[in-house]
Amino acid sequence: MLFKVQRYNPETDKKPYMQEYHLDDVTSGMMLRDALLKIKESDETLSFRHSCGEGVCGSDALNINGKNGLGCLTPLSELKEPIEVRPVPGMPIIRDLVVDMTQFFHHYRAVKPYLTVHDPMPEVELAQTPEERDKLDGLYECILCGCCTTSCPSFWWNPDKFRGPAALLQAYRFLADSRDQATDERLQDLDGPYRMFRCHTIMNCVNVCPKELNPTKAIHHIKQMMIKEMV
Amino acid sequence: MSWRAQGMRTWLLQRLSAIYMLLYGIGFAIYVINYDVVDFASWQALFVPPVANIATLIFFFSILYHAWVGIRDILIDYVKWSPLRFVLWTLVTALLIALGVWVTMILYSVVTV
Repeated sequence: MLFKVQRYNPETDKKPYMQEYHLDDVTSGMMLRDALLKIKESDETLSFRHSCGEGVCGSDALNINGKNGLGCLTPLSELKEPIEVRPVPGMPIIRDLVVDMTQFFHHYRAVKPYLTVHDPMPEVELAQTPEERDKLDGLYECILCGCCTTSCPSFWWNPDKFRGPAALLQAYRFLADSRDQATDERLQDLDGPYRMFRCHTIMNCVNVCPKELNPTKAIHHIKQMMIKEMV
Repeated sequence: MSWRAQGMRTWLLQRLSAIYMLLYGIGFAIYVINYDVVDFASWQALFVPPVANIATLIFFFSILYHAWVGIRDILIDYVKWSPLRFVLWTLVTALLIALGVWVTMILYSVVTV
């Protein structure tokens, strides 16, 4: 199997280039991450992030044949040769397939991804009905791999100002939480032309999410909440 | 969240203007079919009733507002250099305001003939 992997070492290379690798012992059910590990056995200089290997940690987001995805969840059998592997787009490259995610996590932190409760804390836990809990399905599962945000043209255009789909999904995860009491502050914070309204419903985020979540829908719900607050 | 919420207000008004343009388009098509428009005078007469005149004025202002927001979005997304963005933005705004004044003068002249 033929692989073309983007290489870049900022200390020696002027710009990124594609390097070819051949892998003969490809077994059925092998994922791209397994292939990259095999390639690394023959070329130890290749750098990429990975950890759990089962789509939970969100470390190995890659651009695979032009589409963002997780290396550990992408079977080689589904990929057309030559398999082109690049770092996720729109982020500064640290080395080879490793990118600097600082900007991504800056936006994540900015939406205050934790419960805010103004009332005195109850002696037991903050109770929630099963229906209220159901509203968090499709939101809490995000693993913060960054596939969505780095595939979003609005994020490429305004990475410093637009929060990006992942952070906005998390913003809605707390807006939708019956226990959270910072609805007004959260909505106020997302107003303005940049933070949320750079979203033009391109839906690349939905297309690439390895957990099959829907940030576009979450953004739509945030807008609905804003309209309800307005009237 | 109040009406002063700029991002939301702009976004919402752009959508409302789109709905208005759609409704006006359908309404105007029906209105025109029922009239025998053969020359300029009969075309001009279409805009004499106050309802048609004002509805048309709102239609043009909807287009102008819709375009203003749309072009602003394009400038924010694609024009990175802020002085250039500012200049283009000012030019576009001035042009749209001029068009607004012009269309108001035209529609006003119809009722005062």
